[in-house]
Amino acid sequence: MSWRSVAPAEMDWAGWALFGVVATAALTAAMITAQLAGLTRVDLPLILGTMVTEDPDRARVAGFGIHLLAGQGFALGYAAMFALLGRATWWLGALIGVLHVGVALTVLLPLLPGVHPRMASARAGPSSTAVLEPPGLLALNYGVQTPVITGVVHVFYGAILGLLLQAR
Amino acid sequence: MTDDPAVGPGAAPPPIADYGLLGDTRTAALVSSTGAIDWMCAPRFDGAPLFGRLVGGPEAGTYRIGPARPAEVVERRYRQHTTTLRTTWVVGDRRLTLTEGMVAEVAGRLLPSTLLVRRLSAEGGPIEAVVDFDPRLGTNHRAPRVRRRRSLLVCEWGALAVSLACAPHLNVEPGRSTVLTVAPERPLTVVLTVAHREPLIDVEPAVAWELLRADEAHWRAWIAEVDPELPFREAVTRSLLTLRLLTYSPSHAPVAAPSTSLPEQPGGVRNWDYRYVWPRDASIGVAAFLGVGKPDQARGFLAWLLRASRLQRPRLPALFTLDGLRVPAERQLDGWPGYAGSTPVRIGNGAADQHQLDGYGWVVDAVWVYVQAGHHLDSETWRAVRGFADVVTRRWREPDAGIWELRQPSHQVHSKLMGWLALDRALRIAETHPLAARRRRRWQDARQAIASEVRTNGFDPERSSYVRGYGSTELDAALLVLPLLGIEDADSPRVGGTIAAIRAELGAGGPLLYRYPPGHDGLPGSEAAFLPCSFWLAQALAGTGRRAEAIELFRLLLDRASPLGLYAEEMDPVTGAHLGNYPQTLTHATLVQAALAIRSAGSARSGEVG
Repeated sequence: MSWRSVAPAEMDWAGWALFGVVATAALTAAMITAQLAGLTRVDLPLILGTMVTEDPDRARVAGFGIHLLAGQGFALGYAAMFALLGRATWWLGALIGVLHVGVALTVLLPLLPGVHPRMASARAGPSSTAVLEPPGLLALNYGVQTPVITGVVHVFYGAILGLLLQAR
Repeated sequence: MTDDPAVGPGAAPPPIADYGLLGDTRTAALVSSTGAIDWMCAPRFDGAPLFGRLVGGPEAGTYRIGPARPAEVVERRYRQHTTTLRTTWVVGDRRLTLTEGMVAEVAGRLLPSTLLVRRLSAEGGPIEAVVDFDPRLGTNHRAPRVRRRRSLLVCEWGALAVSLACAPHLNVEPGRSTVLTVAPERPLTVVLTVAHREPLIDVEPAVAWELLRADEAHWRAWIAEVDPELPFREAVTRSLLTLRLLTYSPSHAPVAAPSTSLPEQPGGVRNWDYRYVWPRDASIGVAAFLGVGKPDQARGFLAWLLRASRLQRPRLPALFTLDGLRVPAERQLDGWPGYAGSTPVRIGNGAADQHQLDGYGWVVDAVWVYVQAGHHLDSETWRAVRGFADVVTRRWREPDAGIWELRQPSHQVHSKLMGWLALDRALRIAETHPLAARRRRRWQDARQAIASEVRTNGFDPERSSYVRGYGSTELDAALLVLPLLGIEDADSPRVGGTIAAIRAELGAGGPLLYRYPPGHDGLPGSEAAFLPCSFWLAQALAGTGRRAEAIELFRLLLDRASPLGLYAEEMDPVTGAHLGNYPQTLTHATLVQAALAIRSAGSARSGEVG
């Protein structure tokens, strides 16, 4: 079947509601595993949670919640793409994952110091109270392997969604 | 370039202590009393040298603003409680003053991350001055691509660009001297901005000057918060400002020094790159800042330590980059002549791969000090401390490179004592934090075993002193931290004997001490007295009830500061020349700690100190 012959399909709302959470939880678990294994210093729950609280322990709980919500948002985009393309496969999900992580590493994370109240920028000075170092381009400030790890888990996230979501 | 023989290419380098420190907490510049910035890296401390003449020779670039002809410096000092430096020269009955500084607080505004402002003003009549602007980037002294945008001079090297703006306008050519006349009513303001991987941001010289003045107000307010009862407060606040300038604000990492390869012996090979971060320095910084009433800085240092160590936890590397990454492999820069012919010039640092047991002690003790000060320890920090204590429990019997980073590991008594300290402080923290009983017993057993082994193998009963290593007859001035640990009572004969033996055998004259018998580290040549050891001695004297002696020693050490109140790592005991990388975080941190120990040793009577 050629791409042109694929007709738009319906959104898999039920799949999105359930599998979005599953894929995001899997992604978060994979990132935390990589962090604990010493492959990266990126800590998404901490980074996101410190936007709302200073306490690292509370921040991780809040950050996990924020990450789940953000993951649901991204899963909505995946489901919409699958519906538009009229098909959902693991490899298509993985391809969208590549696009997703590319935007995250080159656009979203470098923009974070602009909105994060406790993240320093390269302009941080003596009066700055920020304590989190900024991720920088490709999040390289958190370790040279960070882009690779982040890339792999996002491709994994996309593949899970491609595998589990339907495009009817 | 200028034809002034005092500052020209063939001139002998100024003494290290002649240099002043300018900084913005992201990078720093070293400026001599001739007005020459001979060292500055961009965009941060460990970036490529932009002006590198200090160790790279004339080809490595410089940036000088000062009198066109030889002139006597009549005054040179930091403006009180700020980081702005003023140098005044006199020519006949006329005076020329250079006021310079870097703007530190640029967060949240459309300003370049590095903004260096220099202003020349004249008194008594017009006076001839010169601007030599010769930026050369990196290890190859790469000349820039030069262009002009309106009145701005722009120099570019790919991702890095700098701009130079002058008011009144001056047609500066990179690599050539520009001579001008400064009239009393018409000061010259020159602004250097740096952009890295971002567009240049223009700042009008008048605006930049106002920003610098506002920054001075920031620093004064920062110093105003320091305990007013501190003994020797002026010297301590200069050290605090220096420590703060050497702290990389985006991550709170304290760099050991802003320079590389300033020699520990002129003409010698002990030339190391200190533009990295040692956990030991950060830990001492925690205690120093907590002690003077600056908990935010202490928290910043501790947070950096915990973040940086995450990748390799529970192992604690000997040093990190500013981002907490692995330090680049050590390499030598061919063709770099070095300071006063001291080669090789090195970048990167081979000590990064060493096992240094003492590092765990410094870090866990810093956490303990933080807890003692009433601060909350979150679960991640406690997890990290538990991991460090486990490593000590597992590895304390191994030889290590120790605090002096010996390239041949050995069983050093100081390292073992610091291993004991790590376990002792971890156990103290465990009194208020959760710890499994089995783990607690393991730590207690290891602590006991270290104490007993060190007393047996690391103590010389004849001299009543701890020694440098197992089976060694040499001493180690790092053992001066002994009274602070608690493994022995501060008034015990073992502690007193160790202090006395170190003073007698490692004394280098006056208040100075060698860290160990000079040159006994497996490298060719010798070295000078090690300044932090002298401050540790002052701390040890204060901690063992000899406060008056501590004060006297401290005063003698203050007399040895550079004219601007700065310290290198080492000092030639004969000439008093500062040697090694400069200014040095460890020396300034130990100065602050010695002052705090003097304060703790008794209430200062009015006029007794300060």
